[in-house]
Amino acid sequence: MFEVIGLIHELEAIGQNPKNAILDSMKKTGKKAVGCFPIYAPEEIVYAAGMLPVGMWGGQTNGTLSDRYLQGFCCSIMKANTEQALLGQYDFLSAVIVTAYCDTLKCVIENWKAAFPQMNLIPVVYPQNRKIQAGKDYMREEFERVRKELERITGENITPAALEESIEIYDEYRYAMQEFVELTQAHPILLNAKSRHLIIKAAYFMDKKVYTKKIKKLINAIKKLPEEETGKKKIILTGLIAEPDGLLDIITENHMFVVADDLAQETRQFRTIAPKQGDALQRMVERIAMQDGCAFLYDKDKTRGALIKDMVKKYNADGIIICQLKFCDPEEFDYPILKKELESEGIPSLYIEIEQRIDSLEQLRTRIQSFGEMLS
Amino acid sequence: MYLGVDIGSSSSKAVIINQAGVVCGEGIVNIGTGSKGPLQSVEMALFHASIERDEIKKCVVTGYGRLMYQGADKQITEISCHAKGVKFLWPKASTIIDIGGQDAKVIRVSINGIVENFVMNEKCAAGTGRFLEVMARVLDCDINELSGLAAKGKAGVIISNTCTVFAESEVISQLASGKKIEDVALGAHKSIAQRIAGLCSRIGIADAVVMTGGVALNHNVVTAIEKEIKHPIIRLEDPQAMGALGAAIFAREMDEGIS
Repeated sequence: MFEVIGLIHELEAIGQNPKNAILDSMKKTGKKAVGCFPIYAPEEIVYAAGMLPVGMWGGQTNGTLSDRYLQGFCCSIMKANTEQALLGQYDFLSAVIVTAYCDTLKCVIENWKAAFPQMNLIPVVYPQNRKIQAGKDYMREEFERVRKELERITGENITPAALEESIEIYDEYRYAMQEFVELTQAHPILLNAKSRHLIIKAAYFMDKKVYTKKIKKLINAIKKLPEEETGKKKIILTGLIAEPDGLLDIITENHMFVVADDLAQETRQFRTIAPKQGDALQRMVERIAMQDGCAFLYDKDKTRGALIKDMVKKYNADGIIICQLKFCDPEEFDYPILKKELESEGIPSLYIEIEQRIDSLEQLRTRIQSFGEMLS
Repeated sequence: MYLGVDIGSSSSKAVIINQAGVVCGEGIVNIGTGSKGPLQSVEMALFHASIERDEIKKCVVTGYGRLMYQGADKQITEISCHAKGVKFLWPKASTIIDIGGQDAKVIRVSINGIVENFVMNEKCAAGTGRFLEVMARVLDCDINELSGLAAKGKAGVIISNTCTVFAESEVISQLASGKKIEDVALGAHKSIAQRIAGLCSRIGIADAVVMTGGVALNHNVVTAIEKEIKHPIIRLEDPQAMGALGAAIFAREMDEGIS
């Protein structure tokens, strides 16, 4: 048990203190770091370049510097990333990869080019038609461009062998995470909403090989523990992120736990693994092509509702909390469709609007407590 | 005896019921969480019920200040408590519109009193009691006079229903352009009604619709909402006390081992 608690605390601390964790990982591995904007940055190429891909998921900033570049109606992750970059908090990064899923991200790329001319900025645009061959060819070309950019920055070639090794490391990480998230069903107290989130989040700030080793150790240690009988209500979270941490504490305080999630920051990162066909870049392309039920990747069949309904059945979930990051258009466009589908099945859902920094959680507390009362 | 306390953002309500569910005491004080209001409302209810504090067997507290109140056996949200109180008095209620000082909620309840779904306003105070307070200040009248004022008004003045601060500027502009105070008051009420209708459309309405919370005391707002949602609204005698009544019923059920 001591080993489990120790590992959990270690990963929680990393999830809570990204900058210190990244600097520590850089020191321990001797690698340079590359910032990766949400959501599906091609981390495998960065890793193959001998660099450390690190997640840039905003934070609880409250500054006004970013107002020069972003309007009040931009999401808090983009504002926080821009604010921190303007404060020099990301000066240690050798490059930043920015994906272009929404209008704000598209503008961020241009704004950052103007604001940080010295920065190695690598934009990546994913194709709308990611399942057809032309879309796949285009996506591969984008990945090749990222590869060349990174080679220019490091002055070293990224070999096919390094790419193969990298995708194996990432797939191993994804398989391990798929196993980890299944554990909450039997351990809802140990892996309460906040712990679960921070442990998953820690992966963004560590060397993936090191993280995978740790998470496997944690999985094995937890598997030896007896199952917890709690009677807590089972919740599935969906959305881009479920932050701030106070939100997750409220879920725990009200006798609920996160039995599974469909969050872009969490399970969407590792629920899809491409088959071992073709080279590393081909597998990366296939993974994005196969990834469905995500608001940020065009999905003509609108599979998110069906996917969540299947999750409800699989985990015997009591309800869904839809975590809508304020001003996140792709998620907002999905909501009416999702709401209709959940209602048609009689699945209880709660829609909450969140920002990364919420100074007063009282209204959220009322909503989540009421939802808990409704389910009991 | 069972005590229910509802600590809102701008008022505190306490209700005492006996074993049979009959209301024996009630206290309403127009100051809310963080003030002496909650204690004063409880003292008032104890006084009306002619009992001492130690005669209370169980106490449930609800409302925005529920976690700050000392001495409660349980904290339950105002959503569950309003549903409980309304169903006790009006068993056929299916939709409850609760407009308080800083929140507006629409709650759907099943035949057997279970909360099926609810929606709340977002951060903005548009569509809440605070909006009315701001309007009363700009129109230079007491908040209790707004209803009578609006009843004399003619329709046609349009006030924003998305932001209280913008609405305040609009009202000042309307007054500056020579619009009558009563017409502007009616426009402000329509603005609240549209905001509430928006919440109702998100969750769906089913009869009977009952309105609770302090804003339900403003009959003109209730009428304006009826027009917007195209459903009649049941007007309770004491809409402000529904949360506290529901909390008192929960306290009794706790004692009986029901909840």
